[in-house]
Amino acid sequence: MTIRTDPEGSETDALFELADLDGAQVLEIGSGDGRLTRRYVDRAKQVMAIEPFKDAIEKAEREIRRESELITFRHATFEDFASGASDASFDVAILSWSLC
Amino acid sequence: MVHALEEIHRLLRTQGILLDIHPVPEPPVVQIIDGDDVLFSEPDPGYDYDDDLRHAEAAVATVLGRGLYALDGSRDVDFLTHAASSKELRDHFASAGAYDPAPKDPTLVAHQEELYGRVDESMARSSDSAEVVYNERARLNRLLPLR
Repeated sequence: MTIRTDPEGSETDALFELADLDGAQVLEIGSGDGRLTRRYVDRAKQVMAIEPFKDAIEKAEREIRRESELITFRHATFEDFASGASDASFDVAILSWSLC
Repeated sequence: MVHALEEIHRLLRTQGILLDIHPVPEPPVVQIIDGDDVLFSEPDPGYDYDDDLRHAEAAVATVLGRGLYALDGSRDVDFLTHAASSKELRDHFASAGAYDPAPKDPTLVAHQEELYGRVDESMARSSDSAEVVYNERARLNRLLPLR
């Protein structure tokens, strides 16, 4: 058996219930290894996934980039990313278990 | 944290949405499940995020109080991680935790060791179809930026 993370899809179901991602420009803050990103990316127009831990973002890039050209992974803290980001550039921001 | 929420507000378009996913401030539960039967269930004594969560919730309360966002919906979900054994589960979390260099409280780690000892004893008495499940309750808040 390999690890199965939320095979019930509880998190994703609630995400889709609360946010319309169809055609959206999405900013995911704390994307980790892309566990959640891969579950919704097909609905979005484009995803900017930022993550401060290098190993995690490298794993995400290895495993997901092949699956989707819609995601840009950025190894950065949110503060660094935001300092160079334009106003009003995203439809949806997801704090992915990362505010605490 | 408040500054981060202010910056997100700036980055969102007028009709944008902030979705905040975070664990609720209660310990996750380690379970052994076989089909519909819960054979073992104990809170994780290694859980040590209470202060961080309280600060995060205080930050959200602050921006709501300032009228920067409106809370427009909320869902609580059980976020389950399934493993064939406690070792597989712990290896998984060790791998994930390797990204975060923050040291763990040795007392909490010791209590966690005892818990997983009990899980192993219970698993040894269970059928092959039993699995170890880590149950984290999470809350998803939908916040709308106000202008």
